[in-house]
Amino acid sequence: MAESSKVLVTGLGAVCAAGKDPEAIWKSVGNGQSAISPIQQWDASGWPTSMAGEVTGMDARALVEDRKLHKMIRRTDLLGLYAAGRAIEDAGFPGYRETLDAEASVTFGDRTGVFVGSGGGAYQNQYEFFPLLTAAAGDLRTFGRELASTVNPMWLLRTLPNNVLCYIGIRYGLKGTNACVTNHSVSGALAVMEAVEAVRWGEADRAVAVGHDAPVEPETVLYYHRLGLLAPDAVRPFDATRRGTLLGEGAAALVLETAAAAAARGAMPLGEFLGGGCTSDAEGLLAIREDGNSLSRAITLALDEAGIAAADVGMIVAHGNATRQSDASEAAAIRRVFGATPPPLTAFKWAFGHLLAASGVLETVLALVALRHGVVPGLATLRTLDPALAPLPVSPAPQRPRSDIGLILSRGFGGINVALLVRALPTSGN
Amino acid sequence: MTRRGRRVAITGLGMVTPLGNDRVSTWEALLAGRSGVGPIRTFDAGGFPVRIAAEVKGFDPRSVIDDRKLLKFAKPSHAFALAAAEEAMRDAGIRPDATTATRWGCAVGTGMMGVEFADLVEAHHQCAADGEFHPDHLLGDGAGPNPITFCRSQCSTGVALLLQRFGILGYATAVHTACASGGQALGTGMKLIRRGAADWVLAGGFDSMINPVGLSGFCLLGALSPDNESPERASRPFDATRNGFVLGEGAAFLILEEWEAARRRGARIYAELAGDGNSLSSYRITDSHPSGDGPIQAMQQALVDAGADPPDVDYINAHGTSTPMNDRSECAAVRAVFGPHAFKIAVSSTKSLMGHLIAAAGAVEAAVCALAIHHGLAPVNANLAVPDPECDLDIVRGGSRVQRIRVALSNSFGFGGSNSCLVFRNPEEVPGSTPGS
Repeated sequence: MAESSKVLVTGLGAVCAAGKDPEAIWKSVGNGQSAISPIQQWDASGWPTSMAGEVTGMDARALVEDRKLHKMIRRTDLLGLYAAGRAIEDAGFPGYRETLDAEASVTFGDRTGVFVGSGGGAYQNQYEFFPLLTAAAGDLRTFGRELASTVNPMWLLRTLPNNVLCYIGIRYGLKGTNACVTNHSVSGALAVMEAVEAVRWGEADRAVAVGHDAPVEPETVLYYHRLGLLAPDAVRPFDATRRGTLLGEGAAALVLETAAAAAARGAMPLGEFLGGGCTSDAEGLLAIREDGNSLSRAITLALDEAGIAAADVGMIVAHGNATRQSDASEAAAIRRVFGATPPPLTAFKWAFGHLLAASGVLETVLALVALRHGVVPGLATLRTLDPALAPLPVSPAPQRPRSDIGLILSRGFGGINVALLVRALPTSGN
Repeated sequence: MTRRGRRVAITGLGMVTPLGNDRVSTWEALLAGRSGVGPIRTFDAGGFPVRIAAEVKGFDPRSVIDDRKLLKFAKPSHAFALAAAEEAMRDAGIRPDATTATRWGCAVGTGMMGVEFADLVEAHHQCAADGEFHPDHLLGDGAGPNPITFCRSQCSTGVALLLQRFGILGYATAVHTACASGGQALGTGMKLIRRGAADWVLAGGFDSMINPVGLSGFCLLGALSPDNESPERASRPFDATRNGFVLGEGAAFLILEEWEAARRRGARIYAELAGDGNSLSSYRITDSHPSGDGPIQAMQQALVDAGADPPDVDYINAHGTSTPMNDRSECAAVRAVFGPHAFKIAVSSTKSLMGHLIAAAGAVEAAVCALAIHHGLAPVNANLAVPDPECDLDIVRGGSRVQRIRVALSNSFGFGGSNSCLVFRNPEEVPGSTPGS
């Protein structure tokens, strides 16, 4: 691929239970610390699952300065706006824009895209109608009559899935091509893929890709539990005793630019996006094909797009949600593509939970940080590799990547899989 | 810089709308100017300030989808989607098979309503009967929350059901940018084929917010026309007396197909899906700028993307919601993009008859554009009685207009400021093309 058509990563932002910036999260993960702890958002002490990766110790004001906005958006949106803002500022957009004349600044806004993978839970949003339902006592006419005096007039706007997209645009004056992906756990990874394609095809000079989610709410936790998806205490990817995942909340963002746009700003590239692939199992909302067929097809598509061989991959960040089925089919897919000797493999959900719509972006951000440090972090909760999945190059201790290229896997409901390939670029001398 | 890649043909259309439960009945009602708006029938809206909507009528999903188990997991909007997609596949005469399934993608604009009203009432009964939420009551001794409720309420349920029903094994995505969702889904589908990630894409949108909570949301914002006594006249885009939109529901799906493959198999090509433009208004969450800033960039980008010049455009299917602000701002945007040619373009908002299908609107209106090109007919903008000097475009009044359409545009602008514009080209206008029937 021509140098000028490369898509570079020039800014990162992240927040989750393990920290409020990529380096802090990296340190926590590298120290083998899990930030999963007892749920604080409600008293879950008597619950069958009472653990999650919540963002604590940050109030709304610390996430988003504009207080007027707090009543207009949900918790997931606060997290998304925070991470996006950090990435945009990390990339140096606001400072650069101040150097532009009025016309060039307008062009900058029109030529900057925003792509969001949006989550947020489906249930608590509508609980604002509970007092009205009580007042109506089953009578819809009363419900209709009492509506205006009982429910916040901004309710619908507060619950828009595309709020992060809207308010990033307003906050930073970004007006280019955009999308809001609402596709469960592949939302974030697809937002990255579409942002890259927009930049690659010249629809934008640069784009911000964001993933955000806050699924730790009572009804969601209970459903995941009843479906057998949640572990009682810890997330143990690929372990013989793994019993499921745990939910986490947070957000992450990447700034992507053409090499030409980055050079024009004198921006320091942190990494390069190489390729992506998306495929489906088509067997239902919750079904997963045992053989991992569609996941291996996604990996192959990403390798083909990147123009590299499986042997060039230096590290795999598995989806590793630690459910019996997902990990087994994931191991099968990895073996199909990489044969008997895959590169060092890790996963991150043990450290801060499964961030659903945000997971693909957060794990891509951390993959870049890991590769820049030259370390594949250990799977600290791994005790015994499931013999049915062996051999698989996982370890509770850190490993060394084989190269500067990382493969990140995301899997969502509907049997939809996404594979992303990134290359970390070395930190320059200064 | 090359923007275009491979060409994309529209070879199949399916619709479930307030005007009819398939493509043909919807199109006939549109041409005849028959309104789909009436008093709300699916629940007692008697206490609401707005008691009218454009509902889908007499729809039985089992008559189209012979899979009861699958339908158990489908909300009404998902059932609309499954039926519209089935019709689109039949219309195109092609569907995924063992050799092609991995080359099929799926891109849907999905609604924002998570839980159905009955399920919210059930949750209220279980854990908030006194009006306050008691999480522990969810644990109850009874059955507790039903996993089927969970399965039906996921944002990816619709796309998952479509993948399963049709055996689509390639790229699959669901997007939501409020009223721009359907347009953005089609744009995504087009790009998948252009860049070679798929050879066929099932693309469209589905939504239903005609339930007590959805209706409440728009009533609270004062966005809906309160003309309960004259439902058929309530949606009157570009009329000086317009006073809000009418909530609709439904689905539309299009089969997008790589152009050369469509030609090789002698497919009927309704139109080329030729361009996509997206912008953010970054102004206010519900408003577009009075100057049309935002929509202007979307239209300009879409034309550039299609390789079309403004004078090529003969028809615009407007976003035309019938709110005072949208229609004025949209007209300003059209004037800014097209200059003097703006007044030579036939413009209509089919929301005048079928209401606003929210996340499905862009998909339904894309299907309307494809049919308009195919039949050489610009559908009527109903209910325009009192012209608004600020909406001084050539709005199609009185009846549908017979005219050859070279290039058509479809606008969709969403809450949150996402603007989508799609460009459709008459297959006869595609260079070097001798399309099928």
